[in-house]
Amino acid sequence: MKNAPKAVIAFRKVCKAKGTGLSHYILMVGKHKR
Amino acid sequence: MTQLLKGKVGTAGRASSRGLHFNSGNGPLMLPIDIGHATHLGLIDPDAAFWSLVAKEHLAEALTSGGSLMKQLSRRRKRFLAEMDTLRSGLIPSAVYFNPTDRCNLNCSYCYIPESMRRHGTTMTPEQLIEALGILKNHFDRTLPKGTKPQIVFHGAEPMLAREAVFAGIEAFRRDFRFGVQTNGTLLDEASLAFLTSRGIGIGLSLDAHMDRIATRTRSRWDHSSVFDTVVTAMEKLRDYPSFNLICTVTRENMRQLTPIVDFFHRHAAPVCMLNPVRCTRQGARDIRPLDHELSKYYLKALDRTYELFQKTGRKLVVANFANVLVSIVAPSARRLMCDISPCGAGRCFFAVSASGDLFPCSEFVGVKEFRGGNLFTDGIEAALGSVPFKKITGRRVEDIDPCKRCAVRHFCGSPCPAEAYAMNGGMDRPGAFCELYEEQVRYALRTIADGRHDAYLWDGWDNGTTTAIDLSSLK
Repeated sequence: MKNAPKAVIAFRKVCKAKGTGLSHYILMVGKHKR
Repeated sequence: MTQLLKGKVGTAGRASSRGLHFNSGNGPLMLPIDIGHATHLGLIDPDAAFWSLVAKEHLAEALTSGGSLMKQLSRRRKRFLAEMDTLRSGLIPSAVYFNPTDRCNLNCSYCYIPESMRRHGTTMTPEQLIEALGILKNHFDRTLPKGTKPQIVFHGAEPMLAREAVFAGIEAFRRDFRFGVQTNGTLLDEASLAFLTSRGIGIGLSLDAHMDRIATRTRSRWDHSSVFDTVVTAMEKLRDYPSFNLICTVTRENMRQLTPIVDFFHRHAAPVCMLNPVRCTRQGARDIRPLDHELSKYYLKALDRTYELFQKTGRKLVVANFANVLVSIVAPSARRLMCDISPCGAGRCFFAVSASGDLFPCSEFVGVKEFRGGNLFTDGIEAALGSVPFKKITGRRVEDIDPCKRCAVRHFCGSPCPAEAYAMNGGMDRPGAFCELYEEQVRYALRTIADGRHDAYLWDGWDNGTTTAIDLSSLK
């Protein structure tokens, strides 16, 4: 029998380090450091 | 920042509401959106960029005052608002789009750099480029936390026309910056590829189709001859190079082919591509602008295809701009691109340097003199960052734009881009070009989450360095 759908789905992840600016797409495949 | 649920009553100048109910008084907005899913609807608190997907039969329960969703959100809302505030106003520049030359050997129909610049513009000498990188290094040494490596992306026009200068700069500063080169791929000979790949330099190639006839409609030399075979040869040489990506600019000319284009890119083992709707900053681009609702149909089919390819082969082709929208939902502060947030990243996360050293908030503005914030060599970076042209861009907020101010997904979109809003729609307080495409991408992203498929669209390790701030699966 198919499982009933979850009543709610909500999640959010937060970066541990404070952002200082973010990678440009061209560097997305490289290591991401903040 | 938005008034929070502090429970303070009667504070001077503030509404007395304690914010106990969704959608009234000081309570948070919780806007329902139909995501086109069989079992779930979206509920979004736009200011906090908080989203939930609620089973349709549980909607009333979810919106009940004092219910589980209200309680769970109330405990965290202040933190979420602060997170968005940091993302939108607390970052400082750490990346530079660097145009070492104004010139280009191609004449693409949608280019945002004026033709006169691309034909007759300046090219930096190695000495000038090294001096410029030295100034940038000194700036970032002062402003960025120790251990943070700023990024330089040689951009265009065609940066490989200034190869000698670019390579001299990379060689001199390879320990100080992370470098990338966004190129049309026509000048990547064996020696250039060996130089760039041996140093781990990011390489982005521009290619608008999987077949010559379509690719050449928008990208060709000045004499209209094709560069397709040359670019595909470069792409084949970059096969399996981990810092390689492809940019496909999507127009009316190629939108119907997005699914075979995705197949083609995947077959050539590109790990990342961008399917960028054409930036409508100049008339040539606006002439081939696709209609949102038509583009959305093909765009989402292409995303479906990347999922199928991953299921079939175990190898991902990440569509970076969609991945960014998806990450803006599941982990807002982990997003990589800064176009899809307001203010956008221009002038606050990155800025652009032209071949004459002029500073612009973003390379989209190179060629629009009124957005010149100063000159790297003569005025310095701080002066430009604080200049009126830069402030115009960094002050652009979705809350001031209609219909964005009342849009549930405004922090997953950001109404990009200011250059487009200015050039095409008449002002910074206007929306960008592709509102409905963003709506559809967000709805698609939420559907992938509802179905537990979102990981397949994201780069591996996307959540490294993150913690889980909330994870709900029940309304109890």
